[in-house]
Amino acid sequence: MRKAPLLEAMGLTRRYAMRRGFLGRPVEVRAVDGVSLTLERGRTLGLVGESGCGKSTTGRLVLGLEMPDAGSVAFEGQPMPAPGTPPWRAMRARMQMVFQDPLGALDRRMAIGAQIAEPLEIHGIGARRAERMERVAALLRDVGLRPDQAVRYPHELSGGQRQRAVLARALATDPALLVCDEPISALDVSIQAQVMNLLVELQSRLGTAILFVSHDLRAVRQVSHRVAVMYLGRIVEEGEPDAVLHDPAHPYAQALVSAIPHPGRGQRRILLQGDPPNPADRPSGCAFHPRCPVAVAICAKEDPMLKPRPGDGRRVACHVAQGEVPAPSVGRSAAGLNRPAQISKAA
Amino acid sequence: MSGIALPIGLVDGRKRRRRWPLLVLAAMAWLGLMLGIAVLADAVAPYAYTALDLRNRLAAPGATWLHPLGTDELGRDVLSRLIFSIRMSLLIAFGATIIGALIGTALGVLAAHFRGFVEQVVMALVDFSASLPFLILALAVLAFFGNSLTLFICLLGLHAWERYARIARGLVISAGAQGYAAAVRQLGASPWRIYGRHVLPNIASTLIVSMTLAFPEIILLESGLSFLGLGVQPPETSLGAMVGYGREYLTRAPWILLSPAVVIVLTTFSVSVLGDWLRDRLDPTLH
Amino acid sequence: MLRFLGFRLLRAAITIVMVVSFAFVVLRLSGDPAQIIMGADAPPEAIAAFRRAWGLEEPLWLQYLRYFGAIFSGDLGRSMRDGREAIALVAERIPATLALTIPALLIKLGIGIPAGITAALHRNSLVDRAVMVLAVAGFTVPSFVLGLLLVLVFAVQLGWLPSGGQESWRHAILPIVTMGVGGAAVLARFTRSAMLEVLGQPYIRTASAKGVPWRAVVWGHALPNAAIPTVTIIGFMVGSLIAGAVVVESVFSWPGVGRLLVVAVANRDLAVVQCILLLVAATMVAANLVVDLLYGALDPRLRQRAG
Repeated sequence: MRKAPLLEAMGLTRRYAMRRGFLGRPVEVRAVDGVSLTLERGRTLGLVGESGCGKSTTGRLVLGLEMPDAGSVAFEGQPMPAPGTPPWRAMRARMQMVFQDPLGALDRRMAIGAQIAEPLEIHGIGARRAERMERVAALLRDVGLRPDQAVRYPHELSGGQRQRAVLARALATDPALLVCDEPISALDVSIQAQVMNLLVELQSRLGTAILFVSHDLRAVRQVSHRVAVMYLGRIVEEGEPDAVLHDPAHPYAQALVSAIPHPGRGQRRILLQGDPPNPADRPSGCAFHPRCPVAVAICAKEDPMLKPRPGDGRRVACHVAQGEVPAPSVGRSAAGLNRPAQISKAA
Repeated sequence: MSGIALPIGLVDGRKRRRRWPLLVLAAMAWLGLMLGIAVLADAVAPYAYTALDLRNRLAAPGATWLHPLGTDELGRDVLSRLIFSIRMSLLIAFGATIIGALIGTALGVLAAHFRGFVEQVVMALVDFSASLPFLILALAVLAFFGNSLTLFICLLGLHAWERYARIARGLVISAGAQGYAAAVRQLGASPWRIYGRHVLPNIASTLIVSMTLAFPEIILLESGLSFLGLGVQPPETSLGAMVGYGREYLTRAPWILLSPAVVIVLTTFSVSVLGDWLRDRLDPTLH
Repeated sequence: MLRFLGFRLLRAAITIVMVVSFAFVVLRLSGDPAQIIMGADAPPEAIAAFRRAWGLEEPLWLQYLRYFGAIFSGDLGRSMRDGREAIALVAERIPATLALTIPALLIKLGIGIPAGITAALHRNSLVDRAVMVLAVAGFTVPSFVLGLLLVLVFAVQLGWLPSGGQESWRHAILPIVTMGVGGAAVLARFTRSAMLEVLGQPYIRTASAKGVPWRAVVWGHALPNAAIPTVTIIGFMVGSLIAGAVVVESVFSWPGVGRLLVVAVANRDLAVVQCILLLVAATMVAANLVVDLLYGALDPRLRQRAG
């Protein structure tokens, strides 16, 4: 149809003022610091990282729930209107969100059928009540619930059923984009797989594009067509899920991947040293260098760009992975670093 | 706090709560009676509240079968005056409670919705309201603006507005953070739908409990002001006004003020009992 | 701490400015004081002279600025009735009011707090029930009803105490009791629920489970924490020392600030009403300020949040 991708975000930046201590001056915290991403119709982009890395904020910026301090979001080639304005509200029919906590996302005083019908009422879909009720019944079937469960209240459903109801509500207007913010982390492990499968199945049927925000690498690998790894508000690596998650190029991505337990397989596990990231106190140069096992002198000075790596075209923001500097031999302290990095062996 | 076992024989609250309903039922019955009297005042009152019976002035209760609760200094029937006073006092209390709840909730929701400057202004008004005893404010306003009934009701309606404003603001902010409001907002819902259909129904129980707490206070305020001669003006009458005028005859005809006093106490007591009970049932977080 | 103090002082100042503005707007816009003081059929020249003398002809904003200026130079205006300094008029009534409100406050604290704590510690006991019934009764009986009942019993029927006036200390007993009983009931109810709230907290159960003696748990953990909400209501009671006796002073014909206010309001004596309003607001704001600082001492978290 159109040339423009479904979603294109350029240089998104979101700052918050944070006060430290009793008499502290407000410190500017960059929750998201220059994130660019593109999402094609019907595809899934997985966004992974530790909690606090800015991935959820990125999801909210992409949806236009918050205004970026810098950068822009274009949806179907159109710029994102300001939150709360009528065009912004109208746009909600095209993009929806699935939340981490389905119980919190549902109004506990309303039957789920009425809640699923709400986006239809808001956006004037279905002229008559009966028409809308039919659509609600169809949606319930789509997400694996029974139409007679429409009269149930959220507390009468299980966690997995609630998330299905949330999904049904999000899909009611047939949106082109779905942002899923940790959609399975509040669910029992046994339910997680079902919801994941449902997402994949619905996507193949409805052609919805999904931005899948999660800290769960395996879940991301299962649903994503592309994966982006975030650290301290920036994307540090982006590529095909198989490439990024089997053979990560960025040292941080390597550490993340090595932390996935593989039963019965002895594996080198990279233990990250140093403090967990604090966005209020961003290190100079590459933000990851104090914890990086392969950091060299330049990493503390120069900020690496996210750019395609010369060999395989994967996008990485790392001096070492880009081959700009030789990697130091493993296990030795890098000169000029305060904290020596270690790689230890874990069974 | 129900159901938390505490050491030293602090039994949980459920056992005690089971005893309440008897008292609650009595309170409800009394309030029902008062409401009935207020609505049917014209039908149940034996006389008009201004009707004089000059031959039976200051008659004691039971002295003549014509006036079961006695008469006042002008020979007006105390029972009839009591009935019309109940109507007036309840009218004022209901009107003022509803006005206060509406104004306070609206301002609280506005503060929570807009934050920033609007919120600062509302909170400054709340501080101001809380910084002066309401009686003092009411006295100043009433005496200087004169004394129409509408003004009086509106003035009393300002009594507890800051409490609703504070509660509504806090609840709306926490509702916004809680997800369901944010979820509906990102569905594209207008603020009217978010607040009208989702947030307000969710916080209504807390606000209703606050109303039951403010209601008796307003009855007391109304009667206090009328007692000082600054509230309901003659020939209209209210419970407080009856006590105020009956005070002149405290030694000779105490029944003039005793019957309205009893009604005031029983009514405020009943509403308080009902409010406590509702609070325990609906809203364990409000104390 | 400085920032905290500054923030609170600023809020207090804003509140005072709002009270003054409120008083000014309400009192000046509600009617023509000249007409009221001089009477409706006073000759126009007399009214004009009066208006000039009191500055009532100037535009409102100028009167407003003047009023602020006067207040900051310590001039609260003169009574329009007898031309005396409003502040002097009010000041000479203050001792009489404090003679009622301070003993009444002591009664409230002395009865209300122990009763509330006892009730909470022995929840559902006979003591608790009795305290609660009395507390609800104390709250629901308006002070003028209680006062009149006391007069009826102790002055009219028994003849033990005088029913009104200010001749001796015996005259003060009934008003003090009237105010003290109602306030004690409110305080008992409040203290009880604050205590119960705290006693239900996990840290109390933890302390008690760790084997800390119950007495130590109550004194060391429960009471300081329950004090935080209770201090608010005590602050309000302290703040209304000057104005808290309006009704009771009227019942007992006690010549205090409350009586003065009722009379001034009835006479539309602007300066006196404004003076009392300001005085009450200042006391209230000062009490709230102290409460806020006490909060800081009792709960270090609040210091941080406010800063």
